[in-house]
Amino acid sequence: MPIDLSQPNWELLVPPLLLLLVGLVWIAASLSRGRFTLPGHLGYFWVFLLICVITDFFSFTPAVWLMALVSFRALREYFSLVDLRLEDRWGVLGAYLSIPFMIYLIQIDWYGFFIVSIPVYVFIVIPFLVTLADSQSQGSLLSIGAIDFGIFFFVFCLGHIAYLAFFSTWLVLLFLLGVVGCNAANAITARRGRMPGFVLSCLICLALTLGLRSWTLVPTGAAVFLGFLIPVLVQMGNHTVDALGRDLGISAADLEPGRGHVLFSLKAYLFAAPIVFHYLRWVMKFGELIHRHGT
Amino acid sequence: MAPDPRRLLALLLHLLVLRPFLHLVFGLNVRGRENLPTRGPCILAANHNSHLDILTIYGALPIRLVMAAHVVAAYDYFARHRLLFATVDFLFKPVWVDRNCRGGDTLDMMNGYLEAGESIIIFPEGTRGEAGQIGNFHCGVGRLAADHPEVPLLPVYLRGTERALPRKSSLPLPIWQHISIGPPQRLDAGVRDTTEALRESILALERSEIASRHQRRPDRRRTFVVAVLGIDGSGKSTLSRRLSLDLSQAGRTCLIGDSLELFADGDPCAAQPLLKEKLRRWVSAQAKDAKSLARYKIPKLTELLLRDALLGETKRWYGSDLIFMDGSPILNMTAWSILYRPEMMSADFCARAMAILAGRGSAKDPLFSEFPELKVMKRLGLTRLAMPDAVIFLDIPAAVSMNRIRNRGEKMQVHETEEKLGRLREAYLLVVKATAEKMDLPTFILDGDRDLESIATEARRAVEGARPESGGNGE
Repeated sequence: MPIDLSQPNWELLVPPLLLLLVGLVWIAASLSRGRFTLPGHLGYFWVFLLICVITDFFSFTPAVWLMALVSFRALREYFSLVDLRLEDRWGVLGAYLSIPFMIYLIQIDWYGFFIVSIPVYVFIVIPFLVTLADSQSQGSLLSIGAIDFGIFFFVFCLGHIAYLAFFSTWLVLLFLLGVVGCNAANAITARRGRMPGFVLSCLICLALTLGLRSWTLVPTGAAVFLGFLIPVLVQMGNHTVDALGRDLGISAADLEPGRGHVLFSLKAYLFAAPIVFHYLRWVMKFGELIHRHGT
Repeated sequence: MAPDPRRLLALLLHLLVLRPFLHLVFGLNVRGRENLPTRGPCILAANHNSHLDILTIYGALPIRLVMAAHVVAAYDYFARHRLLFATVDFLFKPVWVDRNCRGGDTLDMMNGYLEAGESIIIFPEGTRGEAGQIGNFHCGVGRLAADHPEVPLLPVYLRGTERALPRKSSLPLPIWQHISIGPPQRLDAGVRDTTEALRESILALERSEIASRHQRRPDRRRTFVVAVLGIDGSGKSTLSRRLSLDLSQAGRTCLIGDSLELFADGDPCAAQPLLKEKLRRWVSAQAKDAKSLARYKIPKLTELLLRDALLGETKRWYGSDLIFMDGSPILNMTAWSILYRPEMMSADFCARAMAILAGRGSAKDPLFSEFPELKVMKRLGLTRLAMPDAVIFLDIPAAVSMNRIRNRGEKMQVHETEEKLGRLREAYLLVVKATAEKMDLPTFILDGDRDLESIATEARRAVEGARPESGGNGE
C-alpha cells in the first residue's frame, strides 16, 4: 500500500508528532530537576533513533558501528558487574572482539552468517579461550556461562536492532516507539502492579502499530499481533534484567555510571529486538520485500 | 609565575589523550570530588592494585591539581624500561623512590613540594598488592602528614583497576573504574597512629563501596595440609591415623592423603575411591620391586608426581578440614635428589630446589644444569607442586628404623639399608631446616623413638597451634 503523495494525508503528520511528543516529555523531565523522572530507556531511544537517521540520510556503515559502540558500553558494564576470575581474561577479550565480528557481518549484509555468528562460532571459541588459560579448572563453567550470557544479550540481541534498521527505518521507528510506549506505560502505572501497566502498554502499542500501518506497510492482522507481541517481550526483558540486577547487587533506585546504568536502560530492548526482527523477517517476509539495496 | 611549558604540554596530553582514553575504553565513576580542596596542597593516599591506578586518579583530578601534583613512584621498577620511565617522568612528575635503598632525601623532596604548595599522591602500600586486598601501610605517609599538619590528607579508594589490569596479567580489559575520594583528614597523632587511621578510613571507603560488589560464592573452607615426614619405619602412618582419630573426635574431618581414609566424628568412614590413587599404588609397587637405586628413580618420581596430583583432587572432592600426607611430594623429591647427589647437601640448595618445584624459582637457576630431570619437569609443566601448610618430621636413628622394618617381615626395598637410611635421614633434616628457616613453614621435629601416646600428644598440640583459625573459635 504505497502512499499517494499527491493528496493531502493527515497520516504524514503522525511520526513527526510522535517524535515531538517524546522530545517534549524528555525536555520536561530534564527541566523538572528530579521531580518527574523518566525511565532511563529514553536515553538509548535517542541513540537508536540517531542510528535510523544516519542510515536513512547518510549511509549504513557509520550507523552500524554506532550500534557497536552501544554494544561495547553494555558489555563493558556487564563485565564490570559480574564476578570474573583472573583466568577469564582471554575469554572476556574474545567477548569484546565478538562485537566487531558480528557488526562487520551486518555491515556486509551476510544474513546467513550473522544469524549463526554468535550462537555457533563465538560460543565455540569462548569456552575454549576460558579453559585454555585456566590452570585451576575451578569455576570455569560459571565463568563461561557468565561470559556467554553477556555476549548473547548485549551483542547478539542488540545487534538485531541494527539489522532491523537495515531493512526499514520505519520498522525500527515503530519498534522503538513501541518499546518507549511500553516503558512509559509501566512508569505511569508503576505503583499499581504489573497488570495495569501491561494492559496500558498493549493499548499504546496497538495504537502505534495500527496508526503507523501505512508507513510501515504491515498488514492489519500482523499489526494487531505486533501490538501484543512487543508489550509481552518488553515485560519479559524487564522482569529478567530486574532479577539479574538483584543478583548483581544493583537496583534501579540507585544507579551509578558503570553500575547498572546501561543495563537497566537497555533491558526493554533485549528480548523484543530479536523476536520482533524474526517475526518481521520470517512471518512477514520483510527481508525479501523491502530490501534497501533492492529498491 | 608563568607555568612551565613542559607541564602545559603534559596537561594537554592528560586532558586530550589520557582522559578521553580512560573514559572511552574503561569508564570512570568519581565519588566525592567535592572533597578535593579548591586551593592549597593536599596529600592523596590510595590503595594500589594496578598500573591503571595512577591514570584513574589523574582522571578524577581538577586541572589545578593535574598541574601541581606529584605521584610517589618506584624508581627500581620503572627504571627498567627507559621509554616507560621517560613517559612517566614527563606525565606525572613523580617523586622517585628506590625501594632497595632507604634514604631520607625522597621525604625531603616531598616536604619541599608540599611547602611549595604542590600536592603529593602516594600509595602507602608501597607495591601493588593482591587484587582487591588492602595490605599493610608503610609509615612514610604518616610521617609526611605529621610533618605537615596543615595539609589535608585525603583517603582515596580505587576499585575496578584490579580487574581491568591486575598485577598478574599484562592484558588490559575494558572494565569500569570507580574512585571514591574520602573527606579530608587532619590527623594530629603520631606517625604510626596517623598511618593506621588513614588505613582505617580507606577500609571504611571500601566497606561503603563493597555493598554493591557481587561475589560468586563464599570462600571455600580452606583445607590444612600437614606433611608427616620421616624415613621408612619411623611410624608416619601410625601417627597419621592416630592424629586423624584424635582430631576427628574434636569435630574436624581429617583425611589420610595416601590411603584415602576419611575420619569424621572419631570414626573412619568410607571415602570415594579415586582413579589416580589406584594408579599411584601400582606405580608405587613398581618402585618397591626395583633392584637398584637407578631403577628406583623413575617410578618413585612418577609416584611422587601422582601423589601431588592426588592431593589437589582430594582437596577438591573431600573438602576435609585437615589432610595428613605420608610425606609431601615436594619435600620428598628434594630429599631424594640429595640422596642421589650427596655433594649438594645444604639447606640453601633445598630451599632453591623447593622454590623451583613449587613454580616460584627463577628460570636461570644453575640447579637446572645440575639436575636434567628438573629441566624435563619444567618443560612438561610439572613444577607446580603444592607446598604443605605444616611439616612434622619424625626423627629416629637409622638403626631403630632398620629394626622396625625387619620386624614387619615384608620384602626389603632397595634403599632400605642402614647406610642409605642414615643418609636419607640427614637429607630430611636439611629439608625441614630449609622449610623452617627459609620458607617460614610451621615445622616440628619430633623424636620418633618414644611411645605413640607422647608423640601423638605433642604432634596434636603442634598441629592445633599451626592452624590459623584454631586460636579464634574453639569448636
